[in-house]
Order: sequence, then structure tokens, then C-alpha cells
Amino acid sequence: MSRIRATINSIRVRRHPDEIAREVETELRFHIEMRTRANIEAGMTPDEAQRAAVQSFGDFDNVKARCCETRRSFPFNTSLLRMGLHITIAALAGAAALWTVNTPHHSLSSLLSQLGFVAVLTCLFVVARRKQKPHRQ
Amino acid sequence: MAKSKAGLLQGTLDMLILKALSLGALHGYGIGQRIAQISGDALKIEEGSLYPGLYRLEQRGWVQSEWDISDNNQRAKFYKLTRAGRKQLILEERNWERLAGATMKALRAS
Repeated sequence: MSRIRATINSIRVRRHPDEIAREVETELRFHIEMRTRANIEAGMTPDEAQRAAVQSFGDFDNVKARCCETRRSFPFNTSLLRMGLHITIAALAGAAALWTVNTPHHSLSSLLSQLGFVAVLTCLFVVARRKQKPHRQ
Repeated sequence: MAKSKAGLLQGTLDMLILKALSLGALHGYGIGQRIAQISGDALKIEEGSLYPGLYRLEQRGWVQSEWDISDNNQRAKFYKLTRAGRKQLILEERNWERLAGATMKALRAS
């Protein structure tokens, strides 16, 4: 159930990346604020406390980017899904090509529309292959 | 004991986060505090590294989060352990005990 929720979240994140980036930023800033308060309670001046809090947190932008990246990723291995998509598109393109070759054409426009269909499927396949990112750890 | 400057191993950090949350829902800052508290201040998590870890655990379905109001009346994201997370914690604890036992055995070998 939690994985389903995580998958829905990933889809939501992909649709609203700015909203998620703001959400992550709010969360991280809350942390720094809590640390600043603790530092003040420990006897630091507000400026010192803020500086120390930011320093102890580390690279804010890097942490934020890593959090957003994790939120964007799906909670399962998508390589099988991608492979299935590639095979489906390739099979459709092949079938369409065979259909074009084996169907008698009475007009140039019908031939062109069938060739166009094959070209669209081939482009889809190429785009899908290009979008496949290298595996990140 | 020395603080973990270079950061804990990823698996260890995950286990500590799960352990901290097994005691109740917390926001990110609270998790760091609780880990320090239950380890007797021996373990200090690199604060920034806690969050990518939390997001990773949420992606795996071991924790879930929701926004709520904190003790100081601020909006904060609270995390809690899921049932899958509780099972994972038990597994991680067993693995850790086995590894620690084997390492001690190796170190004591003459």
C-alpha cells in the first residue's frame, strides 16, 4: 500500500516539480530554524546561531536537489517497464511496415499516410531510447 | 566516542532512522535529536544527509510523511514508520547483530 502511495507521489512530483521543490525547501528551512533556536538556547547570539546552523546542515542546495531527485524516482525498477515499452513500439512499427508493404495502394496519399505512421512509431522508439537515463546509484 | 564526520554507512543510517521512528512520529530535526539521544550522544548524523535518507525510505514504503503543526506552532513534515518499515527494522537489526557478532569474533581470533 505504501509503495502505491509512493508511486502516486512520484507521478504527482513529475507533474508539479516546483511545488515539490518548495515543499522540500520548507522542510529543510524548518530544520535550520530549529537548529538555530537550539544554538541560541545554548548561549550563541542569533547571528552566530544562524551561521552555525547553516554550517552544520551542509550544502543546502545539494541536499535539496538530492531530495527532489529521490521524490521524482519511482519506487520500483523501471527498466523492465521501459524495455516492454520499447519492444511494443518496435513491434508496432514492424507490423505497420509489413502492413504497408503487403497492402495494395490505390493512391499516393494512402501510401504516404502509412509510411508516416511507420515514421512516427520509429521516432517514438528513438525518443524512448534516448530518454533512457544511465542507472544512477 | 568520535563523531561520524564522514557520515555513517547508508544502511546504518537507514536503520537508525527506522529505529528512531519506531518510538513515535517525528520531524526530520527530531529524528536527528532522537538518534543522538538514544545513542547517548555517541552518534551525530550529518544533518543534511538525513533528508535524502528519509526520502529514500519513503520511496521504499518504509516510512510515510504528513504535514502537521510542530510544538512551536510551525508547519513541519512528520514521518512515521509503516508496517513494512517495522518489518524492515527487525530484519536490519538481525543483520546488524549477525555482522557485529562476526566482526567481534574475527577481531578476537588469535
